[in-house]
Amino acid sequence: MNLTDLILWVAMPVMSLALVLAFVRLARGPTLSDRVIALDLTGTVGMGMIAAYAIARDLPVLLDVAIVLALLSFLGTVAFARYLERRVGP
Amino acid sequence: MREVISGVLVLIGAAFMLLAGVGILRMPDLYTRMSATTKVATLGVGSTLLAVAVYFGELGIVTRALAAVAFVLLTAPVAAHMIGRASYFIGVPLCRETAIDELRGHYDLRTHELESVCFPELELQLPDLQVGRLRIPDGAAAAGRTLAEIELRRRYDVSVLAVCRGSHTIPNPDGDVRLLPGDELILIGPPERLDDVAEALKGG
Repeated sequence: MNLTDLILWVAMPVMSLALVLAFVRLARGPTLSDRVIALDLTGTVGMGMIAAYAIARDLPVLLDVAIVLALLSFLGTVAFARYLERRVGP
Repeated sequence: MREVISGVLVLIGAAFMLLAGVGILRMPDLYTRMSATTKVATLGVGSTLLAVAVYFGELGIVTRALAAVAFVLLTAPVAAHMIGRASYFIGVPLCRETAIDELRGHYDLRTHELESVCFPELELQLPDLQVGRLRIPDGAAAAGRTLAEIELRRRYDVSVLAVCRGSHTIPNPDGDVRLLPGDELILIGPPERLDDVAEALKGG
């Protein structure tokens, strides 16, 4: 089994399973904060999947996509945190 | 060789991401779930990015991969801190097994001011007296006995101001209040005698 097969048939399904588990938490809640951290986790796992795909398909440019995804995920989480605190604030 | 190392790193990363997914689903409350998503998932994605660096091995790509790792290591704790802070303030509950919530009762959620738990004016005016908190450990000799039976005032010149039990407080407790493991005593007395009490209550 070469590296491409290993990533596409083993690592990617495992990461997808992690993504599914994060989406289950996203659907179940129970609080908005739980959903925010579930979204944060999907961003992080997505970044890992993109990095793994970059190796499997020999496309190093995808690394830039992963970095942009990390940046967006971080900004989204921070914005949600501000919103959560403001929503019930004075 | 390079392929083997990066393959192992990708597998490690995938395993940790799966662990993070299990953690976010199975952990009992938001704060423990957050430890799964930040710590475990960060380790997973860091490992995968290292695999990219090892596999390509060119200066530009290695630099970008390491920069991405550094970025994730910097932003994950900041994001988790902000979410945890906001959630605590809006009252997201801690799980029932939580033993200690040190902010409760000492923090004003509207003004964001932390009250001190020590008593500075008292120490200024009565330097021989000190107010202390003391937790009754599991299996201590004092657990299960009443305040009258452990005779703190007669044996150590120490008075009990209050007993904190879980979320509620028994102020000015009588001698027939029975102590449980995990209770916190608020004591007042000479500093060195407070240390004696701590020693005596710790012993079996």
